Amino acid sequence: MTSFTPKPEDFALLAQRPSLHHLQRPSMSYWQDAWRRLRRDPKASVSLYLIIALFMITLFGPLLWRVEPAREDLDVISYPPGLRIPALIVTDPVQWPGVHADPAALVPADPNSTQSLAATTTIRVEGEATTQYVRLTWQPVAGAATYLVYRNDHTPEAAGDLGLPLFQTLSAEELSFEDRLQLKPQDYWYTVIASDGVEEASVVTTMKVPVQRALTVSQARERGLDATPGQIVSLGAHPFGTDTLGRDILARVMQGGRVSLFIGIVAPLLFVFMGTVYGGISGYFGGTIDAVMMRVTDFLVALPFLLFMILFRIAFGIGPGESGIVPMMIALVLLSWENTARLVRGQVLQLREEAYVQAALLLGAKPLYLIFRHMIPNTIGPLLVNLTFSIPMAIFTEAFLSFIGMGVAPPTSSWGSMSNDGIKTMVNTPHELLFPALFISVTVLAFNLLGDGLRDALDSRMRSRE
Amino acid sequence: MSVGRAETFDKAVDFATQTIQLSLDDEPRNLNSIKAVDQISIFFIEHVMEGLLRQDERGRIVGGVAERWEIDDRHARFWLRHNAKWSDGKPVTAKDFVFGWRSGVDPANASEYASIMYSVKNAEAINAGKLPVTALGINAIDDYTLEVELEKPTGYFAYLMNFQIFYPVREDFYRAQNGRYFADIKNMIFNGPFKLTEWVHAASFRMEKNETYWNRDQVKLNVINIPYVTNDNLARFNLFKDGKTALEDGMRGIGKEQVTSAVNNRMRIRAYSDGSIWYTEMNHRKERITSNKNLRKAMQAVLDSQEIVNKVIGIPGYIPAYSLFPVWLQGVHKKFRQEYPAQPPVLDVELAKRYMQQAKQELGMETLPPLALLCDDKENAIREAVYFQSLFKRTLGLEIRVDIQTFKQRLEKMQYGEFDMILAGWGPDYNDPMTFADLFASWNENNHGRYNNPEYDAALRQALGTSDPQLRMGAFGKAQQILIDDAAVLPQYERVVSYVQNPKLRGVAFKQTGAVMVLTYARVVE
Repeated sequence: MTSFTPKPEDFALLAQRPSLHHLQRPSMSYWQDAWRRLRRDPKASVSLYLIIALFMITLFGPLLWRVEPAREDLDVISYPPGLRIPALIVTDPVQWPGVHADPAALVPADPNSTQSLAATTTIRVEGEATTQYVRLTWQPVAGAATYLVYRNDHTPEAAGDLGLPLFQTLSAEELSFEDRLQLKPQDYWYTVIASDGVEEASVVTTMKVPVQRALTVSQARERGLDATPGQIVSLGAHPFGTDTLGRDILARVMQGGRVSLFIGIVAPLLFVFMGTVYGGISGYFGGTIDAVMMRVTDFLVALPFLLFMILFRIAFGIGPGESGIVPMMIALVLLSWENTARLVRGQVLQLREEAYVQAALLLGAKPLYLIFRHMIPNTIGPLLVNLTFSIPMAIFTEAFLSFIGMGVAPPTSSWGSMSNDGIKTMVNTPHELLFPALFISVTVLAFNLLGDGLRDALDSRMRSRE
Repeated sequence: MSVGRAETFDKAVDFATQTIQLSLDDEPRNLNSIKAVDQISIFFIEHVMEGLLRQDERGRIVGGVAERWEIDDRHARFWLRHNAKWSDGKPVTAKDFVFGWRSGVDPANASEYASIMYSVKNAEAINAGKLPVTALGINAIDDYTLEVELEKPTGYFAYLMNFQIFYPVREDFYRAQNGRYFADIKNMIFNGPFKLTEWVHAASFRMEKNETYWNRDQVKLNVINIPYVTNDNLARFNLFKDGKTALEDGMRGIGKEQVTSAVNNRMRIRAYSDGSIWYTEMNHRKERITSNKNLRKAMQAVLDSQEIVNKVIGIPGYIPAYSLFPVWLQGVHKKFRQEYPAQPPVLDVELAKRYMQQAKQELGMETLPPLALLCDDKENAIREAVYFQSLFKRTLGLEIRVDIQTFKQRLEKMQYGEFDMILAGWGPDYNDPMTFADLFASWNENNHGRYNNPEYDAALRQALGTSDPQLRMGAFGKAQQILIDDAAVLPQYERVVSYVQNPKLRGVAFKQTGAVMVLTYARVVE
């Protein structure tokens, strides 16, 4: 064995070489990495932006679109989406006494007559036909006991194709009718039929009347429009149209979004938190405590949500006509946490047996340290996913409950109650259902896709597959 | 296309056999004329039975079993026709009416409509169990003469004779059925224009012309076939659309969607007034702020019936109402409302605000608590309630809480007075202003708001105390004005019922009392 003593010359610097492979990745925390992967998932990132946009719209939209959501405008009922509604200004209507014939000059109805009545020949429009009113008068028919007035929105094509039965006069003396029934700016076909009380004239006369949208001077003043008769003004725009009471659907969708998103965010946050604490305790201590606590959750699963919702309504003394949002929240929070609790318990049970947790335990770590340092960070992934999937569930629940009339009280809107109103007029004015339903669908879809993306992004095992 | 349609329509109506086909939404609950209350039972009874008098196709009172009659303040006398027969060939006699009427007020039968007979002498006491049924003021002088004593003058007594509880019941037949009178086909006997010949429970019915009916020559239809019973309105409308049924009125009017569908299918839509009036009833109990007259006047001054009918409800044919008394009610010579017009209230927001100010002073409140507005869970009622909510808030600064309830629940809450305002309606029981006026009499159980005005009561007592039409209508005219001046009730509209009918079916009439379809005068044309 010879001893080796290093000498200074043994340590000569080698010639510097350019590094062949510079193998360095930027150091990234778990969250940075998750964020990066979330961004790379187009579905998830689009959903995220959508959700942010929805929040912005419902939070700040009403500040920009300053239309009172409960304000009724009966001049534009069920108006389709439109930006500009022109209207003619007309003078305030004077009450119309109508036209009455002198009873002495009339040929009375003869109950024994077998002869068919003549048609009402001359129908005239008194004044101008506007959406305010259409005033019709006609000539008396011999033997008539009453007249029937019909209004059609298309050219009559068959004998009975007369449209809506607007009015029947009480006597033969009445020879006029003022139509104000939801008039729209379009062409109408009016028909007046003479009848002897039982049999109608076999021939009828129909008259086409074009109707123009109009506002009276005082109505214009109420809207803050200073206008003189004959002028054409533009009514407020309704980008999403109006509902059956002339309320602006855009404003109502934004108001409704606040309710829906509030329930959708707050309730899941609360019950996910509850579930985490409960499941964490149950999983960490295990044994008998775990067994008992889990049986409690089993019991909870069996409780019917709707029944409890109704019970809470009564217990909280929610009177008629008051909002049911609070009992809905409580019912949601109290009955929906069991899912999260089970999830967290499973995770904690698993983590408890991990080597690094055992090592920490051996080194004398306290339970609190273990929970905050090891358990929670390692369950946060599945937890967040659980939260994102709970949100659409809560939004749906709110929509459903408002749909069956147990949610918000009128005039407050929510997407569910708006859909409920809209479905009744679905055939004639689909936009009243379309917009709230669209918002529910988009929100729920976005949260679901985001949840999907988050699950992939937060699962560190997915990393190895890249 | 047109050929195909003609073929399918032939199933609904047939000219050669004078047959029509219909659908119903439910079974009749009780066809016994003493106990019938529901619309479907009344529809059948109207066709298979006949009272002393009946209404013709124009709604006028004409002779039924009676061919002549006299009615004064205290008595009514009827002379029965000798050719009126039961379906087994026996004649309809005065005794059958005596038995029928006594059964109607008999407390053992607990008829819900017994109170409508109270204008007959001792009826109320008998119904309360204080007198025997034989004390009822009806007397068969002989087989064909009937003498009635009245408790009080009843100006509308002739119209009552067309109400099923006043129909004849044959004692021997009734007793032979052992309590199953009219419970099934074999337990029935008829004296009306039709016979019920087939009844498969909850499935189908068939009525045929009654060949023993005295006026059979006037009855044109031979068969009324009812092969469909379903409570699905859309299904029944589709049956009509497919040419399976001859008339569809949705029992209380086809809905808005069906009206649109009918317009789009180029069908003729018809309408009849069901006689009902719809209004906002106020709670006049002392503890409710709606008992304050100025508050009610304020609401009256902003409530526009025209706008509600035309814009909010938007169903064609509804008539804006300004009075508790509908426009169709008959007065002395003309219609009641032509003789006693009701002026629409002056609509003035400034005036309303002044009333409101006064109301606040009288109540000693700075701001008024929210009012509970009770309404049905029907689309129209909710829409109207929401409109009220926004209207009163905007014009009067008054908060409204809308209390939406099912029909049954609403009636219960009305009974207990748990409301400030209700959207309610009333259909007539007989053709006289009294059927409506009575609603706000202090003694009426149906006066849910407990309106109590001595002047109003006095006007009604005056109308009740005479059968002189002039005096009676004058009293109702006064009563009408009191309600308007007091803003005791805020009328909104008179309802109409829309229906569709096969063009070959003619002469269908509707009875306003009970809104019942009458096919007695109907016929099928070629």
